[in-house]
Amino acid sequence: MAAAIETKKLTKTYRSRQLGKINVVNELDLHVEEGEIFGFLGPNGAGKTTTIKMLLGIIYPTHGEGYVLGREIGDMDVHRVISYLPERPYYYEHMTGFELLKFYDSLFGNHDPDKCQRLLERVNLAGDASKTINQYSKGMQQRVGLAQSLLNDPKLLFLDEPTGGLDPIAHREIRDLILSFRDEGRTVFISSHELSEVELICDRVAIIHKGEIARQGRLTELLKGGRIEITLQGIDEGLARKLATGGTLHNLSDGYMLDMPEEEDVNAVVDTVRSAKGSIVSMVPRKKRLEDLFVETVRAATPGAAPKLAAEGGV
Amino acid sequence: MNAIWAIASSTVGEAIRRKVLLVILLIALLLLSIIPALGVLSARSEMSAMISTIFFVIRFTSALIAIILTIYMIPNEIERRTIYTILCKPVQRWQFLLGKYFGAVLALALMMGIMTALSLVMFWFLKHPDASKMAEVAKQPILYLVEMSLLAAIAIFFSTFVAPLVNFFISTGLWLVGTVLNPLYDSFATNPQTAPIMKTMAKLITSILPNFANYDVKNPILHPGVVIQNEASYYLKTVGYGFMYIAILLILGIVVFDRREV
Ligand SMILES: Nc1ncnc2c1ncn2[C@@H]1O[C@H](COP(=O)(O)OP(=O)(O)O)[C@@H](O)[C@H]1O
Ligand SMILES: [Mg+2]
Repeated sequence: MAAAIETKKLTKTYRSRQLGKINVVNELDLHVEEGEIFGFLGPNGAGKTTTIKMLLGIIYPTHGEGYVLGREIGDMDVHRVISYLPERPYYYEHMTGFELLKFYDSLFGNHDPDKCQRLLERVNLAGDASKTINQYSKGMQQRVGLAQSLLNDPKLLFLDEPTGGLDPIAHREIRDLILSFRDEGRTVFISSHELSEVELICDRVAIIHKGEIARQGRLTELLKGGRIEITLQGIDEGLARKLATGGTLHNLSDGYMLDMPEEEDVNAVVDTVRSAKGSIVSMVPRKKRLEDLFVETVRAATPGAAPKLAAEGGV
Repeated sequence: MNAIWAIASSTVGEAIRRKVLLVILLIALLLLSIIPALGVLSARSEMSAMISTIFFVIRFTSALIAIILTIYMIPNEIERRTIYTILCKPVQRWQFLLGKYFGAVLALALMMGIMTALSLVMFWFLKHPDASKMAEVAKQPILYLVEMSLLAAIAIFFSTFVAPLVNFFISTGLWLVGTVLNPLYDSFATNPQTAPIMKTMAKLITSILPNFANYDVKNPILHPGVVIQNEASYYLKTVGYGFMYIAILLILGIVVFDRREV
């Protein structure tokens, strides 16, 4: 599969009075494949929006290279086949939903009211097409934003914090829409710090922290290494210790709790316990969550800063 | 072209809903309808004084609207991030800037048209002037529109790199200076005590600064005893000057805006 987005040492430096030069994005190597939903994760201020703006040619990299759908960034032609939903967007409030879509359509040199109507239907706003944007709720504004992002039938969509500040119902609606984009073969690049959201829909993720990629890969790979807790009764301590070689053993009042990595041979443990006439009270898989990975990654990058970042990362 | 037009018309749509501008326009319309009524009591010779007052109200209001309308245009787009939803489409920055500018000029034309129309109606019903007087009142605002387009171009140029408040003082300052530029220069240059080098400097500065005085043809303070020989060529010259100045400002504005990080 071809790369939808590729960056090589993409860097953006800002000067600030207090700190001097800071690399807000530092030598970023991103790789996003066509047709996937890619999660670009990081705490606030990590450099997500800055990266997206560089990829769109809205701001200019200090150095490094980037390619979007095979074309160098800054090439305006690529704007015909991509679209962008800024974080906390704001639309011309005096326009109705329908007028807004017609306005953005005309920026492509198109005039297709039927298409605008269809897109409003698709995001469930057909009934509100003649209301002005200032009468729209946040969730409705985000949906009209997604509708306008589909006007050019894009191959690649950049969504910056698409569910930021929305209620759970609106979350759900946006999530379903994003999933439907992938079903249509579009590539979706989502920046977010709402991990439970991303976990549900992304194929691959990159974790960015202080402008640098800390992790990048397939979600299923990154989340390997979950654990299993097995509660046992009716076996002696010697056997319990023998079983616990791959994990850790906790004493309970009436038995033992064995905490082991999920890739260990659980069946062997079960067989051994059964043949010793012991009983298995419960087996609870503890899946590794994206949040764990995120906190782990950020903590590794900045010792001491983890609790705050974890709070931001949570949902 | 399509994109420029779309941006321009959305700008007009926004401009005519700006409450500050509407309030200013409303006050002006109120004044314009009172002025001729006051004139009813006075003698017929007062007619030219009345025309001057009408012109003054239209000109001053238009300048205020032109400045307030344009200084916030680009900064607001950036602050509200609407600009990103536009620049990520196949729209170049110069198209965006031109669209915004033409939108501002259109909105100005609309508001000035309303003021002029009201003045003409009131003037006609209360004073029963002859056709040439009516034409006089109808023609002057056309020059004002060119003047205000130039003022808007100044404000939009500065808005690509300075904050609105600073821009307000720069644009207003340039307009005021540009309005009294001719008499200022005359009094300076005709003074026998002025050194020749200073005269050259004054000449240079007056030709660089935007000249707004020429758009106020009938103003006896700015043009004492001036009789325009060939009206058509005068109009052509001042309009041409305005358009050239506007073009230069827009090009400079585009150059600055193109490099700018938004
Ligand atoms: N124009 C700018 N000048 C200076 N610093 C900036 C500018 N834009 C963003 N930054 C800084 O860059 C960092 C990353 O910002 P951003 O990309 O918006 O983060 P994120 O989207 O991940 O929350 C922040 O610390 C922010 O303060
Ligand atoms: Mg951001």
